[in-house]
Amino acid sequence: MIHTTRHNDEITVIRPGVERLTAVNAREFKDEVSTLIEQGAYQLVIDFKDVSFLDSSGLGVLVGILKKVGSRGELTVCSLGASIEQMFRISRMDRVFTSYPNAEIAVQSMSERL
Amino acid sequence: MLNAPKLKVIVAEDHGVQRAYMCMLINKLGYETIPAEDGLQALKLICESDAQILISDLNMPNLNGIELTVEIRKLSLDRYVHVIMLTGQDENDIRSKALESGVDDFMPKGMNIAMLTARLRAATRLIHHEKELAERNRILKESNDRIQKDLRSAAIAQRRLLPEIHDDIMGFRVSSAFVPSSFVSGDMFGCFPLSDTKLGFYMVDVSGHGVQASLLSVAIGHLITPEFFGTKAILSDTTIAPAALVTDLNQRFCGFDSDEYFTMFCGIIDKENGHFDYCQAGHPSPYYVTSNGQIQAIGDGGFPVGMLAFADYENHSLTFDPGASLILCSDAAIEAENHANIPFGEDRLQSVAATAPQIGPANIPDQVIDALNNWRSGEPLEDDLTVVAIERI
Repeated sequence: MIHTTRHNDEITVIRPGVERLTAVNAREFKDEVSTLIEQGAYQLVIDFKDVSFLDSSGLGVLVGILKKVGSRGELTVCSLGASIEQMFRISRMDRVFTSYPNAEIAVQSMSERL
Repeated sequence: MLNAPKLKVIVAEDHGVQRAYMCMLINKLGYETIPAEDGLQALKLICESDAQILISDLNMPNLNGIELTVEIRKLSLDRYVHVIMLTGQDENDIRSKALESGVDDFMPKGMNIAMLTARLRAATRLIHHEKELAERNRILKESNDRIQKDLRSAAIAQRRLLPEIHDDIMGFRVSSAFVPSSFVSGDMFGCFPLSDTKLGFYMVDVSGHGVQASLLSVAIGHLITPEFFGTKAILSDTTIAPAALVTDLNQRFCGFDSDEYFTMFCGIIDKENGHFDYCQAGHPSPYYVTSNGQIQAIGDGGFPVGMLAFADYENHSLTFDPGASLILCSDAAIEAENHANIPFGEDRLQSVAATAPQIGPANIPDQVIDALNNWRSGEPLEDDLTVVAIERI
């Protein structure tokens, strides 16, 4: 389901490939991203440009992925729509995930830290 | 298969010698034949026996082969009857009519033994296949019935955990609506006296829904007794800390290696001075509605519970005035989408909550359900919904 783009061979931008990341597909999303991490992709940007809705299960796997990356690398998010931003705010995930307006800025920012 | 009873074949043929000859051949192939002199008798025998194969002549008195087939297809039998029609060489044009009436196969008149054997074998294969499918279907239905029965019992058990709401608990009127998206719910709430003057309440919404979420919500329901709540959140007469209760729960539920967590809102209200302490943990902000209709969403967020071990939680407070009410909803309300995929949203929910002074806070839970039903044109919700209204009388 996910689409990935590699930047400078180090940063992977992941687009979930669904408009709604929910209990229906959250597990599959996590499995696919986990495979990437196991293959050595530790610098990840999840791009929510085409995702309009994230439910509680979707948020749960997002945090699960963050834990999986752990101290090996970094996970940031970008292009959050209004409803996802609101959910991040109410659950304080805005303090857990660094968020960027778009993938380009997220990649630029991450590459400066590498 | 060796001990299986012989399959019964009804042989409908008005010509006596022909009928007897066919019966003899078919019996030799290992079937049990039942002869019928005409269509009417064949129909009667179909009803009275458990025969699953009919070999029928086309032209017979009373009911001809096609009429007989039409009548058979009208019957509500618990088995399928395979109809093989005997046709003469000049009757090719009748075949499409026969197929339409429900005939399965054709055989030229004047018994060719090889062809008869092949036709009967094909019919037998289908019958066995059908029997296997029916058996599998029966087993599936049986296990589905058992699962449904179990889920209904589980739903009743979960509802028993919910507080028995009386009209008045310590000067507060509490009303609620609890709507699982399917049998059991990942939501849970409680409301009980913690001391002579303090009322405690909480609402929990486990991530996801269905059976898995309900296991955790029920475990939380069992854990948060009035004693547990009071011990964790009332540190002294003057130190009320609902955040301490949430912190304790966070430590307990962070240890599991799963993506499951829950959001929570809990509070303690003093019935004498209206002092209201609360902690919001990832749960949507409840609405505080005054008796003159002023409404505000309270709380500016907080970490969910059981997600991050380092999460810290905050105590907040406000004064709960007489006549005012607090409306709590799980996120199913704001996330409920209509047929155009537009979520119900906070503004619409807030405008329903704002009607509390007019219609009475006790009616708000049902009012929210009605509004969501209208929004979704009667489609059931996809997530568990809980609405609780607490009014200070």
